[in-house]
Amino acid sequence: PRPDVSPLPSGSHLLFAQSGRIEHIPLEGQGMKKSEAKTLLHLPDRVVIGVAYDCVEKMVYWTEISGPSISKASLQGGDPVPVIRADLESPEGIAIDHLSRTMFWTDSMRDRIEVASLDGTKRRVLFDTDLVNPRPIVTDPTNGHLYWADWNRDGPKIEASYMDGTNRRTLVKDNLGLPNGLTFDPQTSLLCWADAGTRKVECMTPSQSDRRKIMEGIQYPFGVSSYGRNLYYTDWRRDAVVAVDRSTGKETDEFLPQRRSRIYGITTANAQCPTGQNYCSVN
Amino acid sequence: DATTGSSTDCKPCPCPGGSTCAVVPKTKEVVCTNCPTGTTGKRCELCDDGFFGDPLGENGPVRVCRACKCSDNIDPNAVGNCDRETGECLKCIYNTDGFFCDRCKEGFYGSALASNPNEKCRPCSCSPFGTVDRQTSCLQVTGQCKCLPHVTNRDCSACDPGFYNLQSGRGCQRCNCNSIGSTN
Repeated sequence: PRPDVSPLPSGSHLLFAQSGRIEHIPLEGQGMKKSEAKTLLHLPDRVVIGVAYDCVEKMVYWTEISGPSISKASLQGGDPVPVIRADLESPEGIAIDHLSRTMFWTDSMRDRIEVASLDGTKRRVLFDTDLVNPRPIVTDPTNGHLYWADWNRDGPKIEASYMDGTNRRTLVKDNLGLPNGLTFDPQTSLLCWADAGTRKVECMTPSQSDRRKIMEGIQYPFGVSSYGRNLYYTDWRRDAVVAVDRSTGKETDEFLPQRRSRIYGITTANAQCPTGQNYCSVN
Repeated sequence: DATTGSSTDCKPCPCPGGSTCAVVPKTKEVVCTNCPTGTTGKRCELCDDGFFGDPLGENGPVRVCRACKCSDNIDPNAVGNCDRETGECLKCIYNTDGFFCDRCKEGFYGSALASNPNEKCRPCSCSPFGTVDRQTSCLQVTGQCKCLPHVTNRDCSACDPGFYNLQSGRGCQRCNCNSIGSTN
């Protein structure tokens, strides 16, 4: 097999990071095609944390803390290309706005949220205050919103802002523990998070105060991603990718990679980009 | 490369524990794809995140991968807590520092190894007026700041008895009270 990049068949996929590699599982209907799960990228000496997908150029982007760096590679095959190498300490969450061709990431050592063009230029610090352990970050490209969570043990929170950094506000701060994973579903406008402290998965519509519990008593979630009616979260204790039906709150499936080690970030590579444009894409 | 047609086309994977491997087409580099549990790297020579050691003994004797040893001063929810080879702690918390998070960081004092986080490392809080060069660091264990002449207290916040004018920033001056007219 090609160990660097195996070109992915068309359709939607889950991409997730496990020590030294990025794996993929094809998605079909409402389920994972587990028998077709494969390694997309071998990065043997790297500790990959966050993954994000650019649906326009069909590229996967990831953060890794051993460099540290932010890099990208095409899903169709090709070598990893470093995008950002300087002034990073512990880059963790990464999110892409495919409309404005920008990426956002959190750095838990520099306690920052930064933004740059997908080629690494036009880099700028978006926030460097009131951040202790920022980790997951996601975008809502059509509405120009940014969401992130901070697992600060003395005050965990989920925050929001516009993509230009204005209108920063706290969305959730009560009854949170270690919100390691965050996902935004453009179809339903639901923001969902997986919390390794409260051991729950919860969701809310950011514009309303309709927070609700989806699941409880889960083990140790790290990343979470949405696809259709499902949520998929990675679990550090189970070393698994777990599928959850969002409406019933029931676990529907699990994927256990052959390799037993912690699984970090996860994202959905949708076959098609959601349509739309935002302020940043025209300005 | 099985297409050359020689008897040495296929070689065994250079991987421990009979791990499978693959060849990167462009660089012809061999990468192990199924390293033993807890190890990773091209040749399974590295420990997983959160562990340290030298599983192949590349830099000396073999050291199996063990969990980061950081004096209970790291957060298990953090990533990259220690260097995967040397074990040097990289994300000390509770104001600790050092290779094993075993001492207080600059500007703090106490016992990094105390079991209660509140008793670990407290800020030196040296008085800026009473401390030499307005230093913000103090002695590791006692927390004694380096006081200017005739200045006292752990944090150099007071004058010795019989001295005054801490605010001068140059140490305290003798009171010069007339011994006959003063009560003590």
